[in-house]
Amino acid sequence: MAGSSLVFTDASVLSKADRVLYELEKRLALLSGLAVFSLMVLAVLSVSGRNFLNQPLPGYVDWIEQAMPLIAFMGISYTQRDGGHIRMDMLVGALKGRTLYAVEFVTTLAIFVLMVLLVWGTWAHFQRSFDFGAPMWSRDSSMDIALPIWPAKLLAPVAFGVLCLRLALQLWAYVRAFINNDARPIAVPMILNAAEQAALEAEHVSGQDS
Amino acid sequence: MEPIEIGLIVSGGMLVLVILGMRVAFAAGLAGLVGLIWIFWAKFGYAPDKFEKALTVAVKTAGQVPHSKVSSQALSLIPTFILIGYLAYYAGLTKALFEAAKRWFAWVPGGLAVSTVFATAGFAAVSGASVATSAVFARIAIPEMLKIGYDKRFAAGVVAAGGTLASLIPPSAILVIYAIIVEQDVGKLLLAGFIPGAFSALIYGALIIGMALTIKGFGPAVSGFTWKERFVALPPALPILFVVVTIIFFVYNPFGGDAWGTPTEGGAIGAFVVFCMALYRGMRWAQLKDALLETAKLSVMIFTIIWGVLIYVRFLGFAELPDAFAAWITSLQMSPMLILICILLAYAVLGMFMDAIGMLLLTLPVVYPAVMALNGGEFVSAADSTFGMSGPMCAIWFGILVVKMAEFCLITPPIGLNCFVVAGVRDDLSVQDVFKGVTPFFIADAITIALLVAFPAIVLWLPSQV
Amino acid sequence: TEWNVSLWGKRRAFTEHVEKLAELVDQKTGGEFTLSISYGGLSKNRENLDGISIGAFEMAQFCAGYHRDKNPSITVLELPFLGVSSLEQEVDLAMALYKHPAVEKDLGRWNATLLMPSPLPQYNLVGVGDAPATLADFAGLTVRATGGIGKAMETVGAVPTSMSATEVRQALDSGVIKAASFAPHAHMSFGTIENGKWWTTNLNPGSVHCPVVVNTDALADLSDAHRDALLSSVDEALAYYIDFYNNKTMAAWGPALEERGIEQVTFADAEIAAFKEAAAAPAAASWIEENTARGLPAQELYDMITGMIAGDS
Ligand code: NA
Ligand code: NA
Repeated sequence: MAGSSLVFTDASVLSKADRVLYELEKRLALLSGLAVFSLMVLAVLSVSGRNFLNQPLPGYVDWIEQAMPLIAFMGISYTQRDGGHIRMDMLVGALKGRTLYAVEFVTTLAIFVLMVLLVWGTWAHFQRSFDFGAPMWSRDSSMDIALPIWPAKLLAPVAFGVLCLRLALQLWAYVRAFINNDARPIAVPMILNAAEQAALEAEHVSGQDS
Repeated sequence: MEPIEIGLIVSGGMLVLVILGMRVAFAAGLAGLVGLIWIFWAKFGYAPDKFEKALTVAVKTAGQVPHSKVSSQALSLIPTFILIGYLAYYAGLTKALFEAAKRWFAWVPGGLAVSTVFATAGFAAVSGASVATSAVFARIAIPEMLKIGYDKRFAAGVVAAGGTLASLIPPSAILVIYAIIVEQDVGKLLLAGFIPGAFSALIYGALIIGMALTIKGFGPAVSGFTWKERFVALPPALPILFVVVTIIFFVYNPFGGDAWGTPTEGGAIGAFVVFCMALYRGMRWAQLKDALLETAKLSVMIFTIIWGVLIYVRFLGFAELPDAFAAWITSLQMSPMLILICILLAYAVLGMFMDAIGMLLLTLPVVYPAVMALNGGEFVSAADSTFGMSGPMCAIWFGILVVKMAEFCLITPPIGLNCFVVAGVRDDLSVQDVFKGVTPFFIADAITIALLVAFPAIVLWLPSQV
Repeated sequence: TEWNVSLWGKRRAFTEHVEKLAELVDQKTGGEFTLSISYGGLSKNRENLDGISIGAFEMAQFCAGYHRDKNPSITVLELPFLGVSSLEQEVDLAMALYKHPAVEKDLGRWNATLLMPSPLPQYNLVGVGDAPATLADFAGLTVRATGGIGKAMETVGAVPTSMSATEVRQALDSGVIKAASFAPHAHMSFGTIENGKWWTTNLNPGSVHCPVVVNTDALADLSDAHRDALLSSVDEALAYYIDFYNNKTMAAWGPALEERGIEQVTFADAEIAAFKEAAAAPAAASWIEENTARGLPAQELYDMITGMIAGDS
């Protein structure tokens, strides 16, 4: 389910690794948010340039197309960490303990396999647009003002690589939770019981209500 | 094995993964990738030494999709429209709207729920994304309804359903996506959404009043606001009007001059206006950072679904499933109106399992030409047409119907994005709770869609004035 | 054998040669070798060359201007004011260019072999507002024109604005741009003529070049009979395309303009000559410089094309 879930922490290596990675993920997600902000600034520049200076922003569309992968990819691991990618939790919501960890392990492993293959696939896509011998290393450029596209294409394997790290960590966490039969598994998003949810919500709302 | 059979088997496998709780975006992507591997290997006659080649071709084909599909100017409207929603929250517009709606409408039976619907309709005029609207109103309206004793499931349902209004009332990300896919005038489509959106809000309101009158122990009316209190609540909500006017002027100039820009620019300028307002109301870097992170999270969730589903769609393209569907539908010996109704019903079923944007991306390339053909072609005149409207008007009418269906899917189980989002924001509610609470609104939506089908003028009157 | 063919949009004048090719190949091989054409199902148009290189499909169409860095050698045919006067001539130029070793090598990076062009007539502008009487009236005019044509329009003071083809109609209707450049079939399918007021008949700044390519390995893997069936059908498919474009599309174009009362603007020869003078040589010079830097025999390719055109006239 979307939105915030609770991720438990403790003093273990696993939890430490989780929090270090989370810091990185948060920065990448903020980059994505700033890219949305830059879309807004671009439009203001484009419209005022056209209407007041009779000089439209050259390559407006090209710049938007460069910003979109930043928006679409950079937060992918952050969202996975918090359990923000939507799913149906009817079945897993009813499971507990080792059964739950086993099912979560299987679906997380499936995502891991997909993402490792997609790191390969998106890297190949990047490579086809990249040529050390060419001007600006570019073998693919945007339509209007010929910006090299390889930096934007590189974002996909980079963001997906970080997601693979996150998935590997979650797999480790599910194995650990399964072995120990933990009541409070570390470093994975949990579907919460009502009391925990209320506590989290109070913390959340007091932080940002204006 | 025939490609179409592979297509059906893989689609079945994807459903199993989704039911097992695999995140939807990745389940679709994995199904697409496995399907591609299967198709290419089948092409090589399943020779064991050719598996590696099939895998390579499939992985590289799938690997093109994420970058190539998300780097689109048209899709840039989605994050911008989401950002508007969050900034408006920090600009205090949501609270102001809800407060004004409460003071004016809460005296009717089921008043607070009715007020919530009207406030979401007002907020829809600055928000382009249903999910963002549901997310912010879940924070504001649900606690107030709970305070005076509403059933928490119903309170969540009101917010989830009210959120869907954001996609009909302009600005609307999904109407833009429709316009781009079918290559129709974005501006006219945005205008066309206005009356059906308001109409939906009225029907929601009527349904709530009806429920309040017949169900015992339903949330009570809230009365006792003086006229002075009512009028005092209006000015803080007025900036909404300012934003609405800005966005309208970028789509179409009501005074007959040139519009100020494209819808893409209009969305971004709207966000900028709200951003300035939020700064004025005291938003600082900490809050802006929160808004940007929330926008990033919701955007990345939607974009991951988009590229995940599109890997699956790419596989369907190789499996020739859409072609098979088109051939089948045009060969049917049924009345065109009946076919249209069947198509809408099919959307209702499909929408149970799919996200709205993914569903439109998946189906429109096939369904839209079929519907246009039913009406007599893209350039048919109203007089010669089946449904009594010209080609371009039919495109607008069908667009509004499809978007209303897509919105309907946002609140139907098992995958209803709005309900997931409300449950996500309100951690004391499970997704199942929200789905229960939103059920009455299925009836309201069914009535709305029936009326839009029976009386196309509700949709077409406004755009035909331009 | 079945080949997948990746096109985009819908079946139109621009794709008739591929449809004809599929028909001919099917006939000649008695249905043993077929081309399965997909409109947008297999790839996005800007990624068609990638798909060929991967081997996801065996045949595809794309436009050189979508990604000049992917195929610099064939962008020579998109230079403004080359002076190409007919679709037949464009086919001759393209087929000669495709045989040049540097061009073969350039496309070889994508494992692609150039099969045939999709010749398009010269682009011209459809615009709203007052029709320009002379080229001086273009000063400050916002126009949607990409690549070489955009550069050319800049030389007469116009302001090129970029946007995707699907946003052109809206931008034109709302006054964001005052004019748009397309080939006639695209002016009709993107609807610019619906509210357009004027059209330039003889600006002819250039055209875009959109070849059809095949995967080199797949071509080599064909049996001799199948390969022969394919290659021997190219001329007939192109003849069919040209006939279709000239006699169906262009036949609809004149009446479409008259029906909507669109004013046809023709500039004086001297003016066009001056426009060409200002735009053509600098564009050619910068193209040659840029592509020499890439290691292409740019001057040689340019001389070959312009030489062939001069020889024809
Ligand atoms: Na809206
Ligand atoms: Na649904």
